[in-house]
Amino acid sequence: MFDIAHILDVLIESYPLFMKGLWITLKLTVISILIGTGIGLIFALFKISGIKVLNWIANIYIALIRGTPLIVQIFIFYFGLAELGISAFWSAAFGLAMHNGAYIAEIFRGSIQSVDKGQMEAGRSLGMPYGLTMRRIILPQAFKRALPPLGNQFIIGLKDSSLASFIALSELFSIATTQGSRTFDEMTYLIIVGLYYLVLVLLFTLLVNMLEKKLSAGE
Amino acid sequence: MKREMIRIENLKKSFGDLEVLKEVNLHVNESDVVVLIGASGSGKSTLLRCINFLEIKNGGKIVIEGEEIDPKTHNLNEVRQKVGMVFQHFNLFPHKTVLENVMEAPIMVKNEDKKEAEKNARNLLGKVGLSDKADVYPAKLSGGQKQRVAIARALAMKPDIMLFDEPTSALDPELVGEVLATMKELAQEGMTMVVVTHEMGFAKEVADEVVYMHDGQIWERGIPSELFNHPKEERTKDFLSSIL
Repeated sequence: MFDIAHILDVLIESYPLFMKGLWITLKLTVISILIGTGIGLIFALFKISGIKVLNWIANIYIALIRGTPLIVQIFIFYFGLAELGISAFWSAAFGLAMHNGAYIAEIFRGSIQSVDKGQMEAGRSLGMPYGLTMRRIILPQAFKRALPPLGNQFIIGLKDSSLASFIALSELFSIATTQGSRTFDEMTYLIIVGLYYLVLVLLFTLLVNMLEKKLSAGE
Repeated sequence: MKREMIRIENLKKSFGDLEVLKEVNLHVNESDVVVLIGASGSGKSTLLRCINFLEIKNGGKIVIEGEEIDPKTHNLNEVRQKVGMVFQHFNLFPHKTVLENVMEAPIMVKNEDKKEAEKNARNLLGKVGLSDKADVYPAKLSGGQKQRVAIARALAMKPDIMLFDEPTSALDPELVGEVLATMKELAQEGMTMVVVTHEMGFAKEVADEVVYMHDGQIWERGIPSELFNHPKEERTKDFLSSIL
């Protein structure tokens, strides 16, 4: 079953196809993480705002996302947005972004609240408004602390993007399943696609580690 | 007659059911140094924090430089620019260098020109004796140095009043002196100061008035020589003998 020479052959032979899937996976991941980070930041600020309505909105959003399976969310976005003429790629991107956003909101909320409250007071005592103090003083410190769990969430987001194969998006995983069933060589293709994900995650981990080092320089 | 800088009338503040300040009255004139003393929980820090509206009063009047400040209608950010504050735990911005700490508010709030702000900041750092630390991060400083940077940072906004909330309580004993010296210098230059402290030596030497607080009220006040040597109230005597 684990014929390494055979796996290598297929790996090389299928390389152009997988590159196409890889490109879609990367696009999907990067877009959904960027939007998800924005959503996460907004809902984190809602949660710490002390304004009841905003608290409620954030809590309901997070409860809905955390309380339902991602695959259900992806299908709801897919069927819902298809009616508006939005492509499978973008409905998957939005679905994943909303999903990541809920988890990222909790990450940001925790890291913002972990910044000593004396920092906000120091900013305010100098005459800086709340928003300015948040942006210049609190968020840069919070972001640094959020980086390890964010990196973790990004890795989860990358792997979760494989669920987009269920709405017929030809990303990495769907290439593996279609090629596998076409050739009746499922195991080889699954191992190969696993290797692709593994390498992506390792590269991404390195990137996060470098960023962490860079951000903590000088302090 | 010196100009009145702070007038507080019947100030009340509660946290939930806990009455922290009960009808407090306080006057501070220009260039005066008023030292607040009292046991922890007596309300002295809360009083200080009410003056720059980090705590919002529940009743009474706060008049800063002749203007009654209503937190609902006044722009508190503008009021706070006139009232600098130094904290027990310094609260320096750890992600910014010493120089950036001092320049941040003048640039972001007053839109000062960057060069101008830097010149000003370097002057202030010189004044507190830390010119050579301009480019280091706060984590590399001793407690005493951090507190002196915090003083320079507050002064960079050119405040008319400076509030000090136990500025030496978090310091190792050997570092207290350098911070008190900086504060003394500031007092001699005519800065209006309200200081919460346990440093009775500083109070005796620098204060124009010492205010003893107990149980959310001003129990006794007077010039240092009177209050320290001839306290009238039993509570004041007890407190002074417990700390001296």
